Amino acid sequence: MTDRHDPAPYIDLKGIRKGYRIGTETVSIFADLDLAIAGGAFVAIMGPSGSGKSTLLNMLAGIESPDAGQLMIGGNRLDRMGEASRTAWRAHNMGMVFQFYNLLPMLTAAENVELPLLLKPLSGKERRLRTEKVLDLVGLAGREKQYPTRMSGGQQQRVGIARAIVADPGLLLCDEPTGDLDRKSADDILAMLGFLNRELCKTIVMVTHDPQAARHANRVLHLDKGEFAEERSAA
Amino acid sequence: MTFFRFTWKNIWRKPLRTLLLTVCVSVAFLIYGLTASFLAGAQGSAGSSDDILGVMSSAGRSHPLPLALLPRITSTPGVAAVTYTARLRGFVGTEKNVVNLTATDPDALLAINGRELGLSADLVGALGAARDRILVGRALADAQGWTVGQQVALTAFQTARQDGDRNWRFEIAGIFEGENASTDTYFMIGRYDYLNAARARDKDTVDAFILRPGDGVSTGALAARIDAAFANSASPTRTQSEKQFLEAFLRQYADVGLIIDLVVGASFTTLLLIVVNTMVFAIRERTFEIGLLKTLGFSRWRILSLVLGETLLIFLAGGVLGLALAKLGAGIAGPALGLILSAVVLAKALALILGLGLATGALPAANAMRIPVTAAFRTR
Repeated sequence: MTDRHDPAPYIDLKGIRKGYRIGTETVSIFADLDLAIAGGAFVAIMGPSGSGKSTLLNMLAGIESPDAGQLMIGGNRLDRMGEASRTAWRAHNMGMVFQFYNLLPMLTAAENVELPLLLKPLSGKERRLRTEKVLDLVGLAGREKQYPTRMSGGQQQRVGIARAIVADPGLLLCDEPTGDLDRKSADDILAMLGFLNRELCKTIVMVTHDPQAARHANRVLHLDKGEFAEERSAA
Repeated sequence: MTFFRFTWKNIWRKPLRTLLLTVCVSVAFLIYGLTASFLAGAQGSAGSSDDILGVMSSAGRSHPLPLALLPRITSTPGVAAVTYTARLRGFVGTEKNVVNLTATDPDALLAINGRELGLSADLVGALGAARDRILVGRALADAQGWTVGQQVALTAFQTARQDGDRNWRFEIAGIFEGENASTDTYFMIGRYDYLNAARARDKDTVDAFILRPGDGVSTGALAARIDAAFANSASPTRTQSEKQFLEAFLRQYADVGLIIDLVVGASFTTLLLIVVNTMVFAIRERTFEIGLLKTLGFSRWRILSLVLGETLLIFLAGGVLGLALAKLGAGIAGPALGLILSAVVLAKALALILGLGLATGALPAANAMRIPVTAAFRTR
């Protein structure tokens, strides 16, 4: 499945095969998966449970490796990297937004956002300035010292997004980012993702069950039984 | 935020658990500090000299030697100076308040280890002004609240006066300070001629001869020479350095060093098991977060150092607290028990803090380092 807008894809999967061993049996998730996504795209991936959405997202994040095939992101062959290289790649090239925010409860909003910057050679002042800047960008200026437990779900997800973008990665992976939010908060978060895609040119891959959420993407892929069954351009 | 602050915040996410662990570590290092201080202190042998030899009866220190051996010991090649001592052991006030008096020839003692004891010609002169005068060590004087000119009544456990009375009265002529903190000054120095004349039994005998070898003389060879000279006499001798003597003296009761090693070893083993168990559970509770950190780009080694940093911080806090308490205890009970929390003890304790901190953190840290992100995410 290729992106119709860009002949040189930012994400390029060719002949991906992935399976899991359960006891003596191997359950195949992907037999021969191809996918190409252009840089700066906002792609939603939908599909029923067990279709392989999470496995695909994990592979794009470098958390899991394919059994076979080529997995290239931004010119880097992730399928050829060891775990340490993939971890280092994640620190500089990818941000992840989770369904349940996954903020550390003992850290303030600013400290949660600052976490990925601890891996970069920045001074304390530079880290603080960048943290304040992204918190301002997601509309949480003035809430730097607030703890996640004192925030609403929508606010926590904004902190999660700020954490994902603070190291300025090219790729944002979102795993059901609105799955735990009410409609209003979900729309705000999706609008923010749209803004990051349009204004900051982030390539976004979002896994979702929510058709309304998928409408914010400019490309929607339906995954079923390890294959892309349908593709459409969203409004 | 820094890595240190992140580690600090991780530690304090369960304050009660962290406090209990810190207390546990501090108690172990309090035990270590006190026992090691005992070994290093004056009741041990660290403050004693390897250069001064003591000649005692080979039958044991409770068997006196005749004073008549003095000329032969003095004339032994390699001996620079000799004195002799008889001990008067008793109590002042209550029976638990045990004190010792070493009766000697003051001028000869000044020549042999006057420097180590902090004796001066003035002090020895004051002692010589009257036969019942004594010099008191600083530690004993401070512990008893004694001052120069004060009368002291000592009730001997065994040594009776000629009239059968075991009460001895002395006047304090001066206080000797000792060369340094590790010098034992919890005793008194009196005159042998007075004790010998006044006591009912064991006249003209001594508990030990104390000698200083000449420059360049091997103490081991000299000791062997003296013992060989009296080997077939009526009073065979055993010659040891002061340090060897004190170590042997303590071993009469038990191998104190071994007991201390066993107590410290048992407390540290228990500590190790408690902290390892607690940390393994603490890190297991955070498996999901470790997966999250790896997703954010934290490498296996960063995760390892974070967990090791947590255990090290707990050990540092608990260890420093325990050693501070031990220092306080040594300061309070030091003179009576001979506790010296020396720089060497502190350095060893610091090495133990670092070693145990790393050892206890190793297992949970290795578990955290190894767990795959997908497995970590399945734990929620």
